[in-house]
Amino acid sequence: MTSKDLVLESAADRTSRFERDALVFTNQLYAAALRYTKNPEDARDLVQDTYLKAFSSFHQFEEGTNLRAWLYRVLTTTFINSYRKGQRQPQISNNELEDWQVAEAQSHTSDQGKSAEMEALEKLPDSDIKRALQEIPEEFRIVVYLADVEGFSYKEIAEIVGSPAGTVMSRLHRGRKQLREKLADYAKELGYKVGGSE
Amino acid sequence: MSYIEIQCGDVLASVIFIIEGELQEIPQAEAINTHITTCGACAAEIEHERVMHQLLQDALKRTCDEQAPEDLHQSIHNQLRAQMAGAGTTEVVTQFSMTEISIEIDEFGNVEHREIQIEQTHIQHFIDDEK
Repeated sequence: MTSKDLVLESAADRTSRFERDALVFTNQLYAAALRYTKNPEDARDLVQDTYLKAFSSFHQFEEGTNLRAWLYRVLTTTFINSYRKGQRQPQISNNELEDWQVAEAQSHTSDQGKSAEMEALEKLPDSDIKRALQEIPEEFRIVVYLADVEGFSYKEIAEIVGSPAGTVMSRLHRGRKQLREKLADYAKELGYKVGGSE
Repeated sequence: MSYIEIQCGDVLASVIFIIEGELQEIPQAEAINTHITTCGACAAEIEHERVMHQLLQDALKRTCDEQAPEDLHQSIHNQLRAQMAGAGTTEVVTQFSMTEISIEIDEFGNVEHREIQIEQTHIQHFIDDEK
């Protein structure tokens, strides 16, 4: 075996290993990319870019660590760095770290409000759920998606999005809250009765 | 013994930590737990939050399950193969190989022949900058 054969064989092996281990997540990454970019063309490009980037730094990936989380990190940073440029994003306030605990002190909800809120969430069509997710700010959308659809812990999400864990927790809280408020609004439009705090 | 008085509002503001199972992350964890065991309204509110979170999670999981277009799989495969064959990465392979041969002939003329082979391969990857 000449050293040239060895080079080719090794690159081929590595490619096969990457394809075997990483490409099983194509559908999942595509669904995430759709939520990030909001359109199928960009989602497609984002997933392709993600795999190419991941592949070219695959030698840095430590075997035995979480490949799925690593792929989501590549996807998310690629999206943040390239895809949202030029897109206008709703800005979120700078004091997000402080106000999750102090400013959000709430009052109890009535039992009537509770059951109406649950009913609304159960009855709303899928298209409304997607619409609500599209409408919340990107920073919230990403963490809610990673936590509630992909099931990552908030510490894993902190790694994926490159933000402190406290920031992630705050965004998760506010993102879910906004999502529920939007869904309650849609339910009202559809004629369901949804009560708030009383 | 110090006792921190916790108000319902404080408990409800920390509900995200309770839902995520990360209450231990915040300093008032113990006081919050104590409050919940004695305040029925807060306990009910937290239960409601749990149910709502579960419903929201179910709804999100149900709706966000798009499949990638069929041809995307193939085009990723093609691109990876192209990158592998092309300039994407450069590999430098250093191969070391040594063979030690010993032959012993004893007084009766018997020949004992031993061969030890040592091989070592080291591969370094260099990533060419994209574009």
